[in-house]
Amino acid sequence: MYFRRYLCSQTAAAHRRRYLRPVKQVVKSNFSETLAEIKESIVSSDFVAVSLQKTGSYSAPWQKCLPIDTDETAYWKAKRAAERFQILQFSVCPFSVKASKLIANPYNFQLFPRHEVKAGMPSYGFLCQSSCLASMAQEGFDFNACIYNGISYMSRAQESAATVQTRSVLLNGGGLLSTSALSVADVIFSERIKTRVKNWMNGCNNQHKTGDYLISSLRKLVERSENYGSRPSLTIDVCSERQVQLTSEALKEFVNIVLVRPLAKAGVEAVQVVLTSSEEDKNLLVKEIQGLEEEHRRLVSGFREVIDLISTSQRPVVVHNSLNDFAFIHEKFLAPLPPTTNEFSSSLLSVFPHILDVNHLMKELGLFDEMNNLSSAISYLDSRFSASIDMEVSYEEKTDCVDVHGHSVMKVCQLFVKLCSILKISLEIPEGGHTQLPALLQCSSNMLCSSDVRDPCNDDVRIWTSKSRTVSLRNLVFLWGFRRGMSAQDLKDVLCNSHDVFSEEFDVKMVDRTCAIVVFWTPGVSKSFLGIMDSGECFSNKLENMILEGLKAADYETYRRVCKSDLWKPNLAECLAQATDETVVFSGAKMQQEKSVICRNNDEMINLDEL
Amino acid sequence: MRNTYMVRVLTRALQPVRSLCSAPSAADVELKNVTKANFEPALAELRRHVREADFVAIDLEMTGITSAPWREIFEFDRPDIQYLKVKDSAHKFAVVQFGVCPFRWDQHSTSFVAHPHNFYVFPRQEIAGDGSSYEFLCQTSSLEFLAKYQFDFNTCINEGISYLSRSQEEEALKCLDSIHKDEILDVSSNLRNVSDTQLVRMADILFAERMKNAVGEWRAGLLQGGSWGPESQGSLNDVNQKFQTTFFQTRPALAVNGLTSRQLKLIKLVTEKHFSDLAYVHVAGESSSRLPLIVYTDSAKDRDVLKGEVKACQRKAAEISIKSAIGFRHVIDLLSSERKLIVGHNCFLDLAHVYSKFIGPLPSTAEEFVSAVQTYFPSIVDTKVLLNSDDVLSHIMNKSSTSLSNAFNLLCLPPVAPTGTNNGSADIPRVKVDVQVDDQRFSNWNSGAKHEAGYDAFMTGCVFSEACFRLGIDFNPLAPGSILQHNEKLEKYINYLYLSWANGDIIDLKTGKCGPDTLGSAIGRRRWLAKFTFSNMILLWRLPTKLKAKDIRECFYKAFGSGSITSVHQMDETAAFVQFSRAELVSDFLELKDRLDRDNNNPMSVVHPLSRILETGCVRAATYETYKEVCLSPLSELLFADQAERLGMKGEARLVQSSVDVDGEDSHEGEGEITMPTFRELQQSSASVTTRNFQTDRIMDSLCRSAAQ
Repeated sequence: MYFRRYLCSQTAAAHRRRYLRPVKQVVKSNFSETLAEIKESIVSSDFVAVSLQKTGSYSAPWQKCLPIDTDETAYWKAKRAAERFQILQFSVCPFSVKASKLIANPYNFQLFPRHEVKAGMPSYGFLCQSSCLASMAQEGFDFNACIYNGISYMSRAQESAATVQTRSVLLNGGGLLSTSALSVADVIFSERIKTRVKNWMNGCNNQHKTGDYLISSLRKLVERSENYGSRPSLTIDVCSERQVQLTSEALKEFVNIVLVRPLAKAGVEAVQVVLTSSEEDKNLLVKEIQGLEEEHRRLVSGFREVIDLISTSQRPVVVHNSLNDFAFIHEKFLAPLPPTTNEFSSSLLSVFPHILDVNHLMKELGLFDEMNNLSSAISYLDSRFSASIDMEVSYEEKTDCVDVHGHSVMKVCQLFVKLCSILKISLEIPEGGHTQLPALLQCSSNMLCSSDVRDPCNDDVRIWTSKSRTVSLRNLVFLWGFRRGMSAQDLKDVLCNSHDVFSEEFDVKMVDRTCAIVVFWTPGVSKSFLGIMDSGECFSNKLENMILEGLKAADYETYRRVCKSDLWKPNLAECLAQATDETVVFSGAKMQQEKSVICRNNDEMINLDEL
Repeated sequence: MRNTYMVRVLTRALQPVRSLCSAPSAADVELKNVTKANFEPALAELRRHVREADFVAIDLEMTGITSAPWREIFEFDRPDIQYLKVKDSAHKFAVVQFGVCPFRWDQHSTSFVAHPHNFYVFPRQEIAGDGSSYEFLCQTSSLEFLAKYQFDFNTCINEGISYLSRSQEEEALKCLDSIHKDEILDVSSNLRNVSDTQLVRMADILFAERMKNAVGEWRAGLLQGGSWGPESQGSLNDVNQKFQTTFFQTRPALAVNGLTSRQLKLIKLVTEKHFSDLAYVHVAGESSSRLPLIVYTDSAKDRDVLKGEVKACQRKAAEISIKSAIGFRHVIDLLSSERKLIVGHNCFLDLAHVYSKFIGPLPSTAEEFVSAVQTYFPSIVDTKVLLNSDDVLSHIMNKSSTSLSNAFNLLCLPPVAPTGTNNGSADIPRVKVDVQVDDQRFSNWNSGAKHEAGYDAFMTGCVFSEACFRLGIDFNPLAPGSILQHNEKLEKYINYLYLSWANGDIIDLKTGKCGPDTLGSAIGRRRWLAKFTFSNMILLWRLPTKLKAKDIRECFYKAFGSGSITSVHQMDETAAFVQFSRAELVSDFLELKDRLDRDNNNPMSVVHPLSRILETGCVRAATYETYKEVCLSPLSELLFADQAERLGMKGEARLVQSSVDVDGEDSHEGEGEITMPTFRELQQSSASVTTRNFQTDRIMDSLCRSAAQ
C-alpha cells in the first residue's frame, strides 16, 4: 500500500514536469548527426513509438473511419487520406521498460517534401485542411521552420525509380558495350585515349625525376592533369554515353587507375581518370568514392533513413492509430498504397513485422468509447486504474529553447506502457530477446487490418460481447433524401409507422447530415425493404409520400462501391445517388460479379455498439 | 561618422514635417501589412484611399499553380482547355497573400501617391458549414518558391484574414433559414418527443427528481413573494450552487451554470414536462457562449412568445457571425462597388482566383466567366498586354522579358550607372510615385520584397503609370472626377487579358472572344507561336516511357511518309499529341492502330514502324475532345495516362465524330480498299527499315521474341 502511494506521488510530480520534458528537435541542419544518434538509441531500446502530424485527416464526416466500415472500406478511407495529405512532423521515440521504469529517447523530425534531388519528388503537391493547419498553429507549430528547414525524403519506390537517372559515380570497367562492330571512329577514339593516358601516366611517374616546377606545371596544363583529392587525375571530355563505354573499355589494361564521373553535372560531359599508386591504394579510393555515393544516397532518401532504421531493427512499433498512420508511412516512405487490404498488410508487415496499436489495447481493456484524444485517454486511465509509471527521458536539451513539439509520441509511449501494466503484460524484454515479443502482446500485434480486430482472441470476449451487438452487412440499408435536419430519432419515428417492414425491430443511425443507416435486426427484412424502394410499390401512403419527396435507399454494396471509387463528395447522399445511377448503366455481367462480392462479405460483422 | 549619425537623426526628426510637404526622404518603412488583428481599421482606411484613387493595382500569391504537370498550359491548348486549366488551378489552390495598391494622382506635387497594402489571407473556417472542411492544395515547388522569398507562413496561418464568398454567404443564410423553419415546425412536435424520451438510468431519475424539486421551489418562491430575497432562495442555493437568479427580458430567470450537456438535457426535459409556465432557453451570454436559462413566463402564450424571441435572437446572432465571417471579401466588394480601373500583371489567373474565392464557383466556360467578371469589375487593364501590344512600349522593352520585376527595373528605376551608351534614357522624365504608409509619405520608397503581394501590386501600378506616361497620357487633367480608363489612348487596351502567356491568346472581356494577340503591335506579337489544327490532332497516352518526341516523329514518318505529321508535342512522359498534316490521316492512323493492336503477334505488325510506339499493346489514342474531357475532371493524377485510366478513358478505335461525308465514302468503298494501302505501306516500310543497320538488330530481336512466344 505504501509502495503504491509512493508511486502515485511520483506520477504526480511527473505530471507537472510533462510539458517541460525535452524532445530533440531535428531539422535539415542537424539531421545527419542525429541519424547516428537515433540509430544507437533504436538498437538499445525494445520498442519504438511513432506519432505523425499531418496536414489533414478527412474531408467530410462520412469520410472518417466509422464503425460501419469493414476493414476494406476503412482501408480505402485511410488510403485516400494518405494519398492526399502530407506529413509535416514525424516523432519517433525508441523506449524500453526496465524495472517498471519507462526509458524514452524522443526525437521530433520536421518534414517537408522539398524537391532536393528531382523535381516532382517526393511530392508534386499535397492537400491541406485549413482547420487542421489552424489548430496546429494554435499549438505553436512553426510552419516557417517546417517549410524552410524541414527534412525531405524519398520513398523506396521513388528512389528505385530515380536511381535509373542518377548514375553511379564509379565506372567499373566496360562490358556494357554492345556486340555491334566498332566503327573506325571508335577505334581511333580508343587509341587516342589510350596513348593520352599512357603519356600522362608516364609523366606522373617521372614527375619527381625532372624536378622542374615550370615544366611540370606546363605539362599539367597541356595534359589537363588535375588532382583528385591527393591523387593525380586526368579529365577526358566525352560527348556520348558510348564514348564513356569506349573509354572504360580502352583503359581496362591499366591496372592502377580508377574512372570517376563527376557528380554534380547533368548529362555526359567528362570522365576523370584517377591514378593510384598501388592495388591497395586503388581499393582505398574505391571505398572512399563509395562512401561519397552513400552520402549522396542519404541526401536522396532523407528522412526515410529513419524509417529504414526502424525497419531493420525489427523493433515492435507502437502507434496510436495504426491503420491511418501506417497508411501514411507506406504511401510516403515505402511505395504507393496497393488497392486491397491484404496486399497492404502483407507489404507492410514485410517491413514492420510487429505493429502494436494502442487503440486496440484500449479495446481489449473494454474501453469502447471513442478515445481518440491521447490526453483524455491517459487521464481516464489515471482516474480508473492505479497503474502508474515512472518516466525517464535520456535526451537532455542543450539549448535553452524549450520546444513543445512532438510530445504526442511521449503520450503514446505512456499510454502503451500504462495499458500493458493494466493488462498485466510484461514489457521487460531480456537482453538479446528481441526476436520474441511477450506472448500476450504477440496476440495483439499486427491487428491493424485483419478482421479479427472485431473478434479478439482472448478472455476479453465476454466483456466485448456483452457490450456490443454485431450485425451482418446484409441487414444494413443506407437511406437518404429525407428532410434536411432530421435526427435519427425523428427518422425512426417516421419510419416506424410507415410500412410493415418496420414492424420488426430496427434501428436508425445518422452517418452524416444527409444520410442515415437503418439496421434491421431480423434477417431478410432489409432485402424486402430494398425491393419495395426499388419498385416503388409499397402499399403505404406514408412511405410512398416519402419516396415521392425523394427518399432513396441502397445496400451496403453501393456504399462499398462509393468508397472504392475516386469521386468522393462531401455528402454521402450525393455519392450514393451517383453510385446507384451508375449501377443502372452496368451490364448484367458486372452485376453478377458484384453479387459474388457481396457473398464474400457476408460473414463480416459490425460492432453496432459503436454505431 | 558622428556627423552622418547626426544627419540621420535629424532626418528622422524632420520626417513628419517633411512628409507634409512631400519632400523626398529615403525610407525603410515597411509597406502596410494587414492581418486579422488590424483588418478593421485598415479596411476603413483603404475605403478612403480606393474612393480617391485613379486606379488600383492588385497582385496575389497562391499556394500553387498547377495540380499536376500535365495541367500546365501548353502551346497546343485550345482556349477552352486553357480556361479549364485556369479554373482547375483557381479551384484547388488557396490565396495566401493579396496585394492591393490604390494610386492617386496628386496635382500639387505632380506625382502619383500609392498606398501599398499587403493582406495576409487564410481560408480559415469561421462558420460551421455542412460538416465538410475547407481544403486547399499546396504545390510543393510553389511553397519552396514562397519560402525562398521569406514568405511568413506562420503569420498567414495564425493571423491571416478569412473570408466567405458571396455564394458561401448565401448558402449559409439559406441554411440558417431552413434550420429556423425546422425549429418552428419542431415546436409542434416537441411534446411528443418529450413523452417519448424515457429516463432509464437510476442516476438520471434521481437527478431529474432533484431538479424538479429545485426548480419547483424556485418557482414557488417567485409566486409567493413577488420579490425574492436571499431567504427565499436559500434552500435552492443549498441544493445546488450552480443556479443563479437573474432577469431575462423583464422576466425572472434562473441561470444554470457548469452542468454537463446530459444534465442540461434532463433539466430541459423536466422543465417542459412539469412546468407549463417555465421555458427552457439558450441565450447568447456575454462570452458569446450559449447560456442556458429557465425563464418564468405568465402564461403558455407568453412562453411561446418568449421562445420566439429567443429564436429570433439566436438567428440574429448567427446572421451576425456570418456577416463577420465575410472578412477579406469586404476588400473585393469595395473594389467592385467603387468601379475603379483595376490593374494587374498577367492577371487572368488572379481574376479567376478572385472570382472563385470571393464571388462563387467558376462558370464552366471562359465566355460566361468574363461576362460575370465584367459585372463586378467593369474595367481591367493588364500591364503585360500593354507592354507587349503597344508599339512604343514594346520598343522600349526591346524584346527583353516582360516579367514584372524586369519591366519595373526597365521602366521605373533610373539606370544604375549612366554610362555613355545609354545617355538618352538617363534624362527621360519619369512619373513620380510617392508612397504613403500610415500617413507618412516617401518619394523614394523601395523597401518592399519581390514576390510579396503588396510590393508586386505596387510595382504593377508603377509600371502601369509609367507605361501610360510613355503612351503620352497626360495625368494633369486627372482632376477629381475625370476617369483614366476613358482616355482614348488607353481605351483600346482595357479589358484585354492574356488567357495564358504560354500561347499568347488574348481574351476580350467585353465579348468573351478569344484569339491570338491582335491588338496592334508588330514588334510585340510573338511570331514563333505555332498554329494548330485541332481536328488533325491525335492524343496518345500510355506510351513507352523512354519514347521521345523525336522517336515518335520518326515512327510516323516511316509509317505515313515524311510530311505526314506536322508536329509532335509531348505532354509528359506518358502522353503526347501528334498533329497530322491532313485530316484523313487521323482516321487512317486510328484504324491502323486498331488493327495492329488486335493482332500484335503477327510478324507484320511486329516489324511495322509504329510497333515501336505500340509495342506495349496498351497505348491509347483519341481525338482532341477526349483531352478536354480529361481536363474537365476534378481529379489530378500526377501522370496524364493515370488520369485518363482512372476516368475510364479507353481511347477510340475509329473516328466517330468526323464529318459525315467522309465517313460515307469510307464505308461505301468497303473494307478491302482500306486494308490494301496499309498493307502496301507495311511492306514498303519493312523494306525501308531493313536497309538501316541498327534497326535490323532490333527487328530481328523482336521477331525472335515473337517466335519464342
